[in-house]
Amino acid sequence: MMKNLYTLLIAVTIIMGLGACNKETATTQIEVMTKMLANKNWYLDYTIQGNSVKSYVGQTTYFVTYLKNGTTSDSDGLIGSYTVEMVNNKSQIHIQAKTTNGNAIEYVYDIISIGDKKMTISKADTSQSTPAIFYFTSN
Amino acid sequence: MQFVTINLSKSTFLILLSVLLHTQIAAQNLNTKQQDSLYLSRPFAEKVQQIKKSIAKAFVNYKGNHLSLFGALSFNKQLVNDKGINAPVNYMYDEVNENAFKTGYTGGLRIDGIYKDQHLYSISAAINKINTGNYYLNKYSLSPFVDDYTHFKADNNFTTLTIALHYKKLLPLNDMVKYKFYAVAGPSIDYKISRINSDNLVNGAGNRVMISGDLGAEFDNNDYYTIYAHYKLGANLWKSTVPVQLNRFEIGMTIKAKDLF
Repeated sequence: MMKNLYTLLIAVTIIMGLGACNKETATTQIEVMTKMLANKNWYLDYTIQGNSVKSYVGQTTYFVTYLKNGTTSDSDGLIGSYTVEMVNNKSQIHIQAKTTNGNAIEYVYDIISIGDKKMTISKADTSQSTPAIFYFTSN
Repeated sequence: MQFVTINLSKSTFLILLSVLLHTQIAAQNLNTKQQDSLYLSRPFAEKVQQIKKSIAKAFVNYKGNHLSLFGALSFNKQLVNDKGINAPVNYMYDEVNENAFKTGYTGGLRIDGIYKDQHLYSISAAINKINTGNYYLNKYSLSPFVDDYTHFKADNNFTTLTIALHYKKLLPLNDMVKYKFYAVAGPSIDYKISRINSDNLVNGAGNRVMISGDLGAEFDNNDYYTIYAHYKLGANLWKSTVPVQLNRFEIGMTIKAKDLF
């Protein structure tokens, strides 16, 4: 009887020890957002800047592809790489690409909300007082 | 034929005698090291024996202690409150929300006994395969584009290890000898042993340990088997940015191990 209790106690301790992995790390949030972003074509549905709203739903629209290997390309011919980062507690997509003419270009989007199907990002526009907000849907 | 039979008997006797003699001789032929070890002190082994004896003394009032195996069907639902998540992630509400109980199963070992000849108890250890509906208490929207989403996607399929301690009260129903009805109550602790995916780890939401309060009724049919129904209300043991409440109904049966093996 006591032997059964000891065995039970030891078995429980071992199993609890084995299952003690999986803690949040500094990169957990980045991993989750990258997983949601990658291996999809994101189609631009709306842009909003200040009071101006533009809809692209039902039209031949701009799209951008992010791949799991860190590369990105879009319908305008830009090809490059991207990383999802946390900078000053802000989630961002940092893109370094080249245009069709071979000119280097670099820009950063702030992530407002990202999911498997809907993504909302913003980009500061130096010529405007308010940032532009882009609404994407994945297929 | 008679000659063969006699010779077979003699051979068998001689073989047995030689085996016996060999054993005796081998036992006397201990080498020096083996003879010394019989007299050497083994502090660790003796300490373990002392601990076992003291534990046995402490448990002298716990009697009966019949080992049983049990299996049960469970119906599970989680209430999820993702108010603490500030990561900018969204999960479509209609895709993750399921305000319903879903079925899982559980199985394990249980020891039923009596303390100081008065207080009935049971201690059990079980593995639970939990399949649960998730009801999300909060809904968010990002006008004009994203409607009805949550910031968190709870695990709806996981495995836990449970240890439960229940106090049993014999109810004054029926003859209380052949057919016994019990009310049971007590705490249990669940430890998630399945892998937690990264969606559940964001912003400190991951939580492996859950503590529950159990309440139920049991029917003992003349010690042949026991049928039981338990309700368990569980919550995270440690603080989490996503407090989860797990509701479980278990309907199961126990059979004594000695009746099975």
